[in-house]
This record gives sequence, C-alpha cells and structure tokens, in this order.
Amino acid sequence: MIWFLVRRLLATVAVLLVMSAIVYGLFYLMPGDPAVLACGKRCGPDQLVVTRHKLGLDQAVYLQYWHFLQGVVVGRDYSSGPDVNHCAAPCLGYSFQSDQPVTNLLLDRLPVSASLTLGALVLALVLGVGAGLLSALRRGTFVERLLTGVTLLGFSTPVFLIGLILLLVFCAWLKVLPFPSYVPLTENPAEWARNLVLPWCALALIEAALFARVARAGTLETLAEDHIRTFRAYGVPERQVVRRHALRGALAPVATITAVELATIIVSAMLTESMFGLPGIGKLAVEASTSVDLPVITGVTLLAGTAVVLANAVADLLHAAIDPRVKLA
Amino acid sequence: MTLFDSELAAGADPVLAPGEEPVPAAGTDPVPSRRGGAWRRLRADRSALAALVLVGLLVLVALAAPLLTALEGQDATTFHSQLLDSARGGVPHGAFGGIGADHWLGVEPGTGRDVFARIVYGARVSLGVALAATALELVVGIAIGLAAGLGGPRVDAVAGRVIEIAIAFPSLLLALALLAIVPQSVPRPVLVALAITAVNWGNVARVTRAQAMSLRTRDYVDAARLAGVGPVRIALREILPGLTTPLMVLAALKVPSNIVSEAGLSFLGAGVRPPTPSWGQMLSTSTTWFQTDPAYVIVPGGLLLVTLLAFSLFADGVRRALDPRSTRV
Amino acid sequence: MRLRPFVLLGSALLAATSAVAGCGGGSGSGGGAAFDPKTCQGGTLTVLNQGGLGKFDPATLYTSGGGALPSLVYRTLTTRKRVPGQDGTKPVPDLATDLGTPSDNAKTWKYTLRDGLKFEDGTPITSKDVKYGIERSFSPDLPGGAPYLHDWLVDGTGYKGPYKGGDLKSIETPDDKTIVFKLRAPHGDFPYLATATQFAPVPKAKDTGVKYQNAPVSSGPYRVAKYEVGKKLVLVRNPSWSRAVDGQRLACPDRIEVTAGLDATVINQRLSSGSGADAKAITTDTSVGPEQLARVGGDPNLAKRVARGVFGETKYLAFDTTKKPFNDVRVRQAVAYAINRQSVINAIGGSELASPATTFLPDGKAFGQQPYDYFPAGQSGDPAKAKALLAQAGYGSGLTVDLAYPNVDTDGIGPKVAPAVQDALKQAGITVKPKPFSDDDYRNVTGKPSTQPALSLQTWGTDWPAGGPFLIPIFDGRQIITSGGNFNLAQLNDPAVNKEIDRINTITDAAQAAPAWGALDATIGKQALVVPLYHPKTVALFGKDVKNAYVDEWRGWYDIASVSVK
Repeated sequence: MIWFLVRRLLATVAVLLVMSAIVYGLFYLMPGDPAVLACGKRCGPDQLVVTRHKLGLDQAVYLQYWHFLQGVVVGRDYSSGPDVNHCAAPCLGYSFQSDQPVTNLLLDRLPVSASLTLGALVLALVLGVGAGLLSALRRGTFVERLLTGVTLLGFSTPVFLIGLILLLVFCAWLKVLPFPSYVPLTENPAEWARNLVLPWCALALIEAALFARVARAGTLETLAEDHIRTFRAYGVPERQVVRRHALRGALAPVATITAVELATIIVSAMLTESMFGLPGIGKLAVEASTSVDLPVITGVTLLAGTAVVLANAVADLLHAAIDPRVKLA
Repeated sequence: MTLFDSELAAGADPVLAPGEEPVPAAGTDPVPSRRGGAWRRLRADRSALAALVLVGLLVLVALAAPLLTALEGQDATTFHSQLLDSARGGVPHGAFGGIGADHWLGVEPGTGRDVFARIVYGARVSLGVALAATALELVVGIAIGLAAGLGGPRVDAVAGRVIEIAIAFPSLLLALALLAIVPQSVPRPVLVALAITAVNWGNVARVTRAQAMSLRTRDYVDAARLAGVGPVRIALREILPGLTTPLMVLAALKVPSNIVSEAGLSFLGAGVRPPTPSWGQMLSTSTTWFQTDPAYVIVPGGLLLVTLLAFSLFADGVRRALDPRSTRV
Repeated sequence: MRLRPFVLLGSALLAATSAVAGCGGGSGSGGGAAFDPKTCQGGTLTVLNQGGLGKFDPATLYTSGGGALPSLVYRTLTTRKRVPGQDGTKPVPDLATDLGTPSDNAKTWKYTLRDGLKFEDGTPITSKDVKYGIERSFSPDLPGGAPYLHDWLVDGTGYKGPYKGGDLKSIETPDDKTIVFKLRAPHGDFPYLATATQFAPVPKAKDTGVKYQNAPVSSGPYRVAKYEVGKKLVLVRNPSWSRAVDGQRLACPDRIEVTAGLDATVINQRLSSGSGADAKAITTDTSVGPEQLARVGGDPNLAKRVARGVFGETKYLAFDTTKKPFNDVRVRQAVAYAINRQSVINAIGGSELASPATTFLPDGKAFGQQPYDYFPAGQSGDPAKAKALLAQAGYGSGLTVDLAYPNVDTDGIGPKVAPAVQDALKQAGITVKPKPFSDDDYRNVTGKPSTQPALSLQTWGTDWPAGGPFLIPIFDGRQIITSGGNFNLAQLNDPAVNKEIDRINTITDAAQAAPAWGALDATIGKQALVVPLYHPKTVALFGKDVKNAYVDEWRGWYDIASVSVK
C-alpha cells in the first residue's frame, strides 16, 4: 500500500511537471514578445529593456522555466532598479495588466468560484442522484422517459443557454430574483445565497444531468446483483432495499465521476461566471485572455490542471481503497 | 467542452472489441449480430430517425444559406439603423425584435442586421467548425492512439501520459488561452476549429489506443506480422478497420460537443469575430438585451437547443444501433 | 487625454434633468430635506467602479482635472471649478492664491501658496513639497502621468527624477510660499495643467518611492484609511483639513468606500435597485448600458436618478495620408461621405450615449468648436457621392482596404463599431478587411509610423477642456514621433498649422484662445485627415439617497467632492 501511494504520488508529480512545462512553453514561447505585453500601452524602448530584464526574458528558455518553477516552489525575487520585490511561494509572477501577484489574484477570486461550484455541486447531487434513482426504480414508466428526456436536455444544453433562460424567466419576467452580484458570505449570508441562486441552478442543472446518468447506471447495476434479488425474494421491504442498497449503488459512482469530470465542471463554472458577471477565477481567465495577460493565463491554466490531476489521483486512491478488485500495482 | 465524453469516461462504455460476445445487460433483449443489423436498428429507432431528419434539415439550411437569404431578400451583414430605436439604446422597433415580412426573425439590437440571415449563415460557422474539428480530432486522435497502442511500451509510456493529460485538462480554458495568444490575422473559423481539435483529441486517442492494444494480440494480426507485413500497413489494414464501430459512435457524440465548444468560445468572445455570424456570439450579445429584447435570446437560443438535441439524439441512436448492448441512458 | 489612462475620468455633463444639484426630494425617491452645503456632512458614500484603483500615487495617476477620487486626497496648485454647468470647465486656484502669473510671453509661471495649508500630520505645506511632488513624477520608477511636464519644462526631457537626477533647475522655490516654473516655449494653458495630481505636494521625508501610494500623505479633505490595489479604497476625514482653507471641496460624507473590479452590468443593477448601502452609492466610471436605457426611459423613479453629461471626447477614423490610397484626398473624402453615423451610434448604444460628430473638436464653449460638415453624409451616409469621388480617383471598380481596431470595446472603437464602418463603406464599393489588434498592442502598432495601419479607428479625449490638448498632438507636425507613441496619424506637417498653434499657445486668456482653436479645427477639417464619428455621452445612475450628484462639465462625471448622502 505504501509503495502504491509513493508510486502514485511520484507519477502525479511527474504529470504536474510535464503539464507545467507544456503550459509554460505554450504561453511564453509563442511568437510575439511578452515584454511588450508586460510593458503596456505607453512603453518606450528603454522601458522595454528594463521590463525584459525584470521578467528575466533576456535569459535562456530553460533558465526562465527553471526560475518559474523555483518561484512556484520557494518564491522568487524581481528586481527593478533599487527595489527588490519578493514574490512569496507559490509565486506565479505578476499580472501584466494590474501588476498584482497572480497568486493573490487567484486567492481573491477563489471564494467566488468556491461559492458557486460547491453550492451547485450540493444542488446537483440532490437533483442528480434523486433523478437517477427515480428513473432506475421506475423503469419503463412515463417518469423514466421524462427523466431521460430532461437529462438529455441538460446534457445537450450549454450552461450559458440555461443561464440566459433562467435570467429571462426569473429576473426579467417574474422579477423574483436579482441579476446576480456577488456578496461575500461573511458579509451577508442571505444576500450571498439570494444572488447565487440563479448561477447555482444553471450550473447544477448541467452537473445533475451528469450525476443522474451515472447514478441510474449504478443503481441498476446494484439492483441486478444477486443478493438484492435474494432480499426481495425474502420479502425485505422495498423501502429498505432502496435505502440500504440502491442509494449506495447510486452514490458510489457519483463520487468518482465528480473527480473524473472535474475538468468539465471547471469549464461550466467558467462559462457560468462569465455569463452572470461573477468575479471568480473563470472570469479572471476570460479577462486575461482578452488582454493577453500571460502570467494570469498561465496561472489559471496550471491551477485548473493541477486540481484535475490531483482529483484524479485522489479518485484512484479512493477507488483502490473501496474496491478490492483494483490491484494496487 | 467534454460534456459528452463523460459517457466514455464512465458508465456506459460504447467500446466493444470485435469478436467478443456481447453480454446482454439486465433487462435488454437478446442481441442480434451487431454490424449488419445496425442500419436496420437505426431505421427502427423513431427518435433517432426524427433526429436524423432534423440534422439533415440543419445541414441543408447551412448549405443553402445564400439561397435562403436571397429568398428572404436580406443579407447577414447590412446594418439597418432605421429599424432601431436609437433613443432606447438601439432595440428594434416593433414587437418581438422587429419580426415581420421583411425580416422573418427580426433584426439584431444595436446593428439592425437581419437575424434570419445571421442564423442561417451562423449555422454554417457552427456546423462547419464542429464537423471540421471532429474530422481533425479523429485524424490526430487515431494517429496518436495507434502510435501509443502499437508502438511498444516506451512510446506508450510517453504517449499514454500525454493522452491522459489531454483528457484531464479543462479543454475550453486551454482553447480560450490558445486563441488569445495566436496571431489575430489568421482566419478565425479555421483557428477555432484548430483550437477545439488541439484540446479535444484526447478521448479519440484513448479509445484508439485501448482498442489497438486489444486487437494487436489477435491471431489474424499475428499472422500478418509473421507474413512480413510492415507495422504501418498492419496499423492501417488490420487494426484500423476494427476501430470503425467505437469511433463512429465517438464521432457522432463529438459533433454536438464541438458545437457547444464553438458556441462557448464565441460566447466568451474568443470565437469567430463579427461581422462573421455565429450562434454563440449572438447569445453573448443577448446577455445584455435579455430584458429589453427577449426575442433575441429566444431565437438563437432555441435554435442552438434544437440543433444540439437533434445531434445528441442522433448520436444516441447511432450508439444504440451499433452497440445494442448499451442500455438507454 | 492621450489614452484614457485612468478610468476615473470618463465622460461629462450636459443636460442633467431633474437629477441635478439641489433638487432635494426630487432627486431621491427617499425624500428628506433639500441639499444644503452647510448641513450636508455625515454618512458613508459607496462608490461602485469597474476599474480605476490600479494605482493611487499622485506621480503615476493620469487624470483630467485631478480626477474624482484623487482630488479628495491630493490638492493641487489649481483645480477645476466645482460647479455644474459651463463654469465647471474653468480652472480655479486651489493650493495657490491665483491661477498663476505669466511672464516672458507665458514661458514663466509663478504661483504663491495660500496661508494655513497643512498635511494630514499637521506639518505645513510648502512650495518645496509641491516641487518635490513634480520631480518624483519624472522618476522612471513612477511612470504613467501626463507627458506635458516632460515636454514643457526646461530640461524636462532628460531629467530622471529626484532619486537619481537630483534637483530640477527649471522649478524654483525662492521661499516656502513661492514656486516658479520655466518653460521651453509659451504655454497659455499652464493653469489647466496645474490641476493634474503631479502638482500635489509630497513631503520628501515621507516619500517611500513605489510604496508611497499605500500610505500617501493627504493634503485634501480625506486621508487614505485603507488601500488595496485594484480592489478597495477607504477614505476617512483628514482632521488637518477644513473648508476655511479650501474654497472648492464640500466634502460632505464622513467616509467614502470605493470598490473596484465590478462588472458594468452589476454596477448598474445595484445602483438601480439601490438596496441597503447601495442607496447611498454612485459610480465614477460606469455609464448606463443600452440594456438599461429602455428601462430608464420607462421608469420615472429611475429617470430621476440619472445624471447626463459629456466629456470632451471624439471617436474617429484616422488616415495615414502618406500611404496609398489615402494619399489621395478624394479617397479620404469618399470615406467621409460614405460613413453611416447612425449605425455607428446604434452599435455603441444609441442616441442617448453618443451624438454624431462632424468636427474634430467636441462641442462646448470651452473647446471653441466652430461647427462644420464639409462632406455631408447625412444620418446614414451618401454612398453615391462617395462612389463618384472614388471613380474620379481611379477606383471606379472598387477598392479594398484594411481597417485596424482594438479587439475590445472599452474605448468605443472596437468590435462593435468596426462592422458598422465596414458595412457603410461597402455600400460605397469599398471592401473593408477587419484587422483587430489586442488592446495593448494596438497603441504600439498605431503609434509607430513604420507599423501604423493606413486606416484605423481612434479615440481622443481631452486632458483639460480647451482646444490645445485636442489639436496639438494630432495635427502639429513637430509632434510626429517616429520611435513610437505618435498620435499625429495623418503625418500632417503643415508649416501654416504649426505656426498657428505656436501663436495660440502664447494666448493666456482662455476666452480668447478658444475661438482661435475652433477656427484652426475648421481649417484643418477641409483636408479630410480624419473622419469624426461620434462624441460619447455619459448617462450615469446614482443611489436614491444621494444628493447634489451633478456631473461636472470638465470631466463628465460626478464630482465626489460635492456629493452628499445625508
């Protein structure tokens, strides 16, 4: 078990290294001069030289990447003239647009993204597992067909379209919910929730469709197992069968799918944030793309990639721990 | 965006190795021979057939865009400032976004361009980009997948990792970042198709790799190898045909997924640029107009929804027809 | 303004309806007593902004008239007059006793500080502090301010600031009250320039270089209690300041909390709903979008809480007259005839947010605008006339040109406007190929004559309400900068124009100078060097408990120094 853990950990680190090299390479070795972008709108030739040196862009590529890695792990110093700015680990550099440390920008935006994603996940779990369970237990009925249709709809619809429809109905026509504007949870919990209802619903409907599918499949698989048939044959009440066994069958794959599909969830959250103007990490990424803010783009991409890689590693471990059939090889 | 790939990542796996006896899942009918009956099964599947008709209709609309706009007497780029209420921010005069005999689906707020013309030309962009990206993904994915599956353990160690990273990455985020750093002068639809390909080829490669690995140990492949047939020829002649079934299903699933990707990128402002119309772009604009001109949300949004449903239902049908073992999920 | 560098300056006022100053209960649905400057003190004002808190150092800020928020903390030698209407375009003394005494044909300007001025820590403000503040704005570590001081002051171009360059000789401080500026050429506009934050006093002992903005020493009614770059600014009362030593700022709220980084939509939604603290909120950088204009029109309660105005700003098409085909005046005229201003205006939000422009100078007495429309395109263009001119120029069979523009709409010359221009020119047989650039790249590309596209969308806003800063950078032949940062995109170097600019620069009376600038604009306009498209307008919401929220005509935005929330 220990060896398995160590090996899995090493593999994860290797993947992260490869990923960071690819991402860094992609964004910093593109045609065009990052120094020009960093220097901004009014930039003379002198300032350009200073900027290039300050960012270390006058060094060899492998050195630049090495310094970047150093920054992430132990922090790094940026010197401009007499002043030395220390950028503490994990340092992802400074935004070209706002001159703020990218790490700070990400941390600032994290509560918004976390509020959105976690809230939506909870909602999606309830909706998705409920729908999956129901449609598995009511096979061949109208309910099943309806749920299948709704699931397909949720699956086919991009989140921004769902968001627009929700806005149209609840904000423009019924006027029961405000156009979302993020209020920190610590400031006013009621307003926090009221403003996030629409984004939560939009994102949750997408995720719920995903959960419903695997929950349904998981339930069906469980119900088909021999011991369930035996229970039923022995007259164990249906309610107990559902509560004890079907629910477990529905929930187990949902945990895995959340990790496996984290990439999809991140992308949907990014679209949701842009759609509702929520100042989260996804919106930061979109803004950074528009202004070609390379350090921010790199930072967000790496963060998202790392989250996905780690989630997959954890899912593997969990899977191995739960399911003895998985060889710890 | 990899919404649809989840079906491959977890739960219902459409991949079926040739020669394997399909195992009937609980509750499904016994299965007749697979390939030969596929078309028959597809024809018998009413929802898939309806979807196919819709898909055909949409392709026809896209192909006949110049004809249709000529019939209407409008084009996609001419501004009609006289049709807009300038004092009210540029919303169209008249009810429902200015729908009438001259402009069948009304005019665009802010510009007065004909919505019908933009929709049908937008269909060209949406479908064109999605189909081109799907084809490219297949080419790239098959090439890398075959190399990983047949190239021996060392190649596989590297290629396999790269495939894993490619699949795990939040694709739209990477596509967005890629589109931000490439030169602005390259034709946009081509760039968008390439960006979508660059981030979405992973699961094609994975399916190909797994399939190739299983096929490579088959007797007929061994026989070919012993007869002195070269590795490339083996890959193309002996292995590739065995991949047709799972890849056809995957391709069918990829089209709607790529339509969503294109719409998402355009929605975030990284897709095709005005005056080239695209549905995602129209929806992006409509976020500012949903209160004053709801028709502009409903028309492109409804159309995108119908398109995605049609393609998804069709893909579902294809999967059921080719792989009847899989349950309806 | 060379490039709208600081978001605090936006656009300005014109016809504020019932929302203007002093209309008491009328302006806020919450009611309450009418606005009275004597009893207006108290409460917390919330400011909801999109940007503008990226920096707060008086050396690096680029403002028009000292800006909205900075002028609450930094007093300057002169400042804009804090009144609604046309008078708001005039400079008035602030730290100084008068607008300055010119001598040597407006090449020397002398100021005397008023009595009783103190920093927030109680130490007296001297002319040496003002000089030091200006000097540090020359430091390469503190870039970003307006370039005028560098160009105007004797030895200004080579000076590297006090950290490395020592003392700047062209600013003299014979005693603690007096400060004298020596300029290279006559500049009658010096009192306007002296409203910039670079003219704010900075005590040398408290200067911490690039970190100064985190704890600047206030000379104005408020001091900085908290500053988080790009996000938050909290201002509280400066105990060393009183109305007795400041004739301009009312400084009604006790506390001002600024939040930046919000979406335009979010700001407007919050201001219009006005719940909680948002009832006492305003914005200093966000105009109502087209999406809300229809609602404002239909809701009398909301209409009361809107202030309108204009900022001297022109959006235009710029030609490089040295490049084909625009070296031919007939082609330039053809473009001018073909343009459809109505569709351009609709594209950026309709007639409430912009008015069509046919002159380069914005309207308003301060600019001395002399109306002209030499190539009348009407509302929707005159393609027939354009085609005829093109045929004369030898392009009867059509013409293909590239149109450069930034890929964002923040300046109102981006992806929304470009297709409108493209479509209008198409009607005249000109095929336009769109060439979008990333926002940062755009200035670098268009500002260097060697890389400048022949046709581009441009914006020009004024650093102060006068014709000079509008016409000089664009049309003065000696301002063509080949190394980058050029704004004379037409590459016009006309000795007659240059000579007239020099003549007007020596006029120290703004009332006399204005018509001269207007006449110069009308002369240059005949050459069709640019095609003016529109002048933007501000339509800004304020919370229902906000009083005296008028838009000043200098900057086109609320003057926070006059707003009350009590």
